[in-house]
Amino acid sequence: MPQHMVKYEPTFSMLEVNLAPGEVLIAEAGSMVARASNLEMDVKLNAGRNPGFFGKLKAMMIALLRKVVGGETFFVNHFHGGQGGWVWIAPALSGGVRHIPLQGQTMLFSTGAFLASAGEVDLKLRFGGLRALLAKEGAFFLEASGHGDLWVNSYGAIDEIYCNGTYVVDNGHIVGFDSSLDFKIKTPGGGAMGFFGSGEGLVCEFTGQGRILIQSRNLGALVEWLTRLMP
Amino acid sequence: MHTEVKHNPDFAAVQVQFQQPGEQIVAEAGAMVARDTAVQMETNMRGGLGSALKRKLLGGESLFQNTFTCTQPGQTVWIAPAPEGAVTQIDLQPGQEIYLQSGAYLASSAGVQLDTKWQGAKGFFSGEGLFLLRAYGQGTVWFSSYGGIHVVDIGQQYHGYVCDTSHMVAFTQGLSYHVDKVGGMKSLFLSGEGLVCRFSGQGRLWMQTRNPGALAAFLQPFRPVQRSSG
Amino acid sequence: MQVNVLYRPSQTVAQVWLQPNESIMAESGAMMGMSTNVDMQTQSGGLMKGLKRLFGGESFFRNTFMAQGGQGEVLLTTPLCGDMAVLDVGQRQWQISNSAFIASSTTVDVQTQGSGKGFFSGAGLFILGTQGQGQIVVGSFGAIEPVNVNGELIIDTGHLVCWDANLQYTVGKSSNAGWIASYLSGEGLVCHFQGQGQVYIQTRNAQEYGSTVGRMLPPVQK
Repeated sequence: MPQHMVKYEPTFSMLEVNLAPGEVLIAEAGSMVARASNLEMDVKLNAGRNPGFFGKLKAMMIALLRKVVGGETFFVNHFHGGQGGWVWIAPALSGGVRHIPLQGQTMLFSTGAFLASAGEVDLKLRFGGLRALLAKEGAFFLEASGHGDLWVNSYGAIDEIYCNGTYVVDNGHIVGFDSSLDFKIKTPGGGAMGFFGSGEGLVCEFTGQGRILIQSRNLGALVEWLTRLMP
Repeated sequence: MHTEVKHNPDFAAVQVQFQQPGEQIVAEAGAMVARDTAVQMETNMRGGLGSALKRKLLGGESLFQNTFTCTQPGQTVWIAPAPEGAVTQIDLQPGQEIYLQSGAYLASSAGVQLDTKWQGAKGFFSGEGLFLLRAYGQGTVWFSSYGGIHVVDIGQQYHGYVCDTSHMVAFTQGLSYHVDKVGGMKSLFLSGEGLVCRFSGQGRLWMQTRNPGALAAFLQPFRPVQRSSG
Repeated sequence: MQVNVLYRPSQTVAQVWLQPNESIMAESGAMMGMSTNVDMQTQSGGLMKGLKRLFGGESFFRNTFMAQGGQGEVLLTTPLCGDMAVLDVGQRQWQISNSAFIASSTTVDVQTQGSGKGFFSGAGLFILGTQGQGQIVVGSFGAIEPVNVNGELIIDTGHLVCWDANLQYTVGKSSNAGWIASYLSGEGLVCHFQGQGQVYIQTRNAQEYGSTVGRMLPPVQK
């Protein structure tokens, strides 16, 4: 496991990783701040580990689509070096970075949450259901499983809620959750006036037992707030 | 009802834990982050249509507010504003009132009333349709800011203060103020500073450390361009 | 002049305390508040200097704040959430990204040092250089971290705040990948520093933040 440290929590968190010779860090494209000059960087498609031809093709098409339509690009950078070295990684928005050690369990994350991973971590896209297509945040969740290290970023500060029964979270505020939870994307409620007036976007209703990571800011809400100020 | 403001000053959010069924909190439309499924959420126009319209046109607030009502002890609701920044909690007693920049209001407990206070022909803020809200009653009001909060107590350390109006969030009664331009006439158009508010008297002024107009100006070149045909 | 930097690292405000008749020169729009005895004058520093600043990407005018008849206070901020630092100019001179410059003592001269083309991967960014003696106030998007270069260092140019003027540098693509991969992968340009000196970096990239949020805003009619 590479040595790592997160500095400047909780707002402008930056991940510092020290790689041993031969260790590889995979990071979201465009997230590098600085690195030692002896570390190499390769650009690759995020197609998951050992993808077949169709796996790669699917990933390429999604990547191109997202580049045009907007959203996370699915290119990643691989950092490695024969002598090892340090690299600093930061996300685009302000917020926290959380380290999640994966020991065989599976977690789902909003696609904007992935920052970096190391070890034998498998990343797959999962469709969120038809209603999710309406969500500003996009229709996919990222499923992470395996053994290794995962770093996720949030827009805002991260809080952990333990769901024991059912819980509702605004879609734009979800960072990630245990795969043991069932989830359903819904309209927010609030009675007849609610859908138009409540100002709430889509929500996700969780059922079961497991952890939910929420972030205290929402990109969609920021955009709405800004739109009122724009000429 | 137990409330806590977490993650000040950057990504502040209010965590509400209800203790008795029937307890309520009112929040700005769109501010809910998460809640227990069984918490009742009702959208309404606070104070009826007339009052809501008055606030919408003059106050910069949205027409709607959401009222969250507890149905079982121990339920939780999380509330957060849109911009990056802090949330300040003020406990009001009868007879006390504070003036808030509209758009800064986040949430309040059931005993707090909101009123629009008209601010002269020139308007208090440079453009953007922002005005002052008056909050009074008995209860708690939460307001948000873009950026952190810098407090200036006028009457003690400072006899008066000059504040760029885009950085002004809230102030207490007891202060007199007038809106002015800073510098000479040349400065008004060229300085990049907007209007300022000169405060005097005795009271507290809450300023936000960032200017929403500056963020909007920064983002303007990044907006997608729609080429009109013809 | 004394500058206190408050609320680091994200909601930073520079609280400047001026002696009677002392002044500070600041970017237009940077003033948040001030005591009632501070006088603000807008200057262009002569037409040529003003024009040069305009093409340098700086706002055309700067404001000079002077305390009158007693000590005065001016509060300065940055447009985005972030950090600020106060640097001594004199023995060491600095090169600064124009978006990072906030204010300087009137004894420090700050000039455009050359276009940002081929240096910054965003538009409207230029390099400024200092001359003279005094202090400068810089601001960032993100937290500021000073890094000592002792030999070599590679930094994404969008994360640069300012650097020691006697460092040498070359600018290039980040990876060995071709241009298509560079474009698709979202990497910008990196600056390869060599020598001995200090570099101040910011932990966020304003251009990336701008495009992430900006593309979701309603379009502009052209």
